[in-house]
Amino acid sequence: MILHQLSAELALVLRVLLRQPGFWVPTVLFPAMLYSFFGAGLAGQGPAAAYAMAAFAVYAVLGVGFYQFGVTVAQDRADPFIRWQRLLPGSALAPWAARVLAAIGFSAVALLLVLALGKALGGVVLADAQAWVRLIIVTHCAALPATLLGIALGSLVSARAAVPLANLVFLPLAYLGGLWMPPQLLPDAVAALSVWTPTRAMAELA
Amino acid sequence: MRQMTEQAVEAHDISKRFGAVTAVDGLSLTLEPGTALGLLGPNGAGKSTALAMLTGLRAPDTGAVRIFGHRPTSAKARARMGVTPQAAGFPGQLTPRELLHYAQARRGGRAPFDDVVTAFGLGPLLDRRLAGFSGGEVRRLALALAFLGRPGLVFLDEPTAGLDIAAQEAFALTARAFVNDGGALIMTSHYWAEIEAICDRITMIDKGRKVLEGSLADIRARMQARLFRFTLPEGKAPPDWLPARQQGSHWAAETTDSDSMLRRMVGEGLGFHDLTVEPLGLSDIIARMSRKDVP
Repeated sequence: MILHQLSAELALVLRVLLRQPGFWVPTVLFPAMLYSFFGAGLAGQGPAAAYAMAAFAVYAVLGVGFYQFGVTVAQDRADPFIRWQRLLPGSALAPWAARVLAAIGFSAVALLLVLALGKALGGVVLADAQAWVRLIIVTHCAALPATLLGIALGSLVSARAAVPLANLVFLPLAYLGGLWMPPQLLPDAVAALSVWTPTRAMAELA
Repeated sequence: MRQMTEQAVEAHDISKRFGAVTAVDGLSLTLEPGTALGLLGPNGAGKSTALAMLTGLRAPDTGAVRIFGHRPTSAKARARMGVTPQAAGFPGQLTPRELLHYAQARRGGRAPFDDVVTAFGLGPLLDRRLAGFSGGEVRRLALALAFLGRPGLVFLDEPTAGLDIAAQEAFALTARAFVNDGGALIMTSHYWAEIEAICDRITMIDKGRKVLEGSLADIRARMQARLFRFTLPEGKAPPDWLPARQQGSHWAAETTDSDSMLRRMVGEGLGFHDLTVEPLGLSDIIARMSRKDVP
């Protein structure tokens, strides 16, 4: 019964998203693009290259979780279709679960693109297959707090304010946390701040 | 209180404030199965807020709502009610078939949808994306989604806005058949003709308060007003005692004692033609009642 509803929710969410290439193509390609601009330049520098790839992998997953899943909460509150969904019988959690699953699916694709580029362009070599799997798991765990942060932000402010505000929060976090360049390359003052950001911890973990 | 759980809807003294504005102020209403209730009122009267509280979208600040004896947010209440989504909100990437399948799955997968597809003429539209739909087509889908699975109670917000005449008639037929089968229906509408065609009772609210309530039959009987329409020979005007106003080639006069007025018109040899006598339309009655501030 629950599974029946969940599959119906998933079908609905995926149809809506997949039929909007304007949404998912940039979402999926953006981290890979940034990586090939900035991250892959560090190719062949051993651990630094691996760090860059891991950092952009975190960035890919965080971005999808934070924006596409979290911040859209602000838009949903005003959405008459979502209001109607709430009035249907059945589990109220299933639509959420479906959206989490869809977000994981999209971020996984974005992530795999970064990893594939890392292997192809950056020549990143990780110890073994296990290391790759570990990376994927860790980055997805990192997506969870980011998603929750996005949801919190989306719940607090209006739909119009949510995206600009999200940029204001997320982009500095990404920069300070060294998701775009290794913290060693950041200016000293910025590097000092960097230690305190959650995104830094995520990158290090990855 | 116990026997009242049989009511499809029971709202007791519900209120909702938004900041300094009291959108709904101590509204009570009940709706028994097999009845259609029209919720009327000018824009901003509190109809939408009232509907949101009845359906469980908003919690009332005071008072309580029961749907078939259950809290409106409970699974038991949700399983027995159908609501029209606001037409503006459908994701344009989906088709009616996909949305009907989805709503069906939410209702436990047992609700066949052929009947609502037929009733609202959705057959040829089933597999087209909603992005290209006209307002009327979207509205028909919204109605189909509310009636899907024959719930015990449907909430319809402005059900026929944007519908053409044929679709309005089809809707009225479906709605009446639903009510005659024991369904309970609440609708808001600006179209008096439609309220008269579908509803058994009306509740009129203004500034969040109930200003008028009753069965349509009661309201008409209370007024007992009739509208006379007739023509007079060229150059003739009605006598002073007859409160008639000219409407194109016709004269129109309202009266609460149609028998005496007709006797006098005949007795004085008024020479009228083409006389019709009709009960007043609901809109005329309401206009008169609210002018007199009838509670």
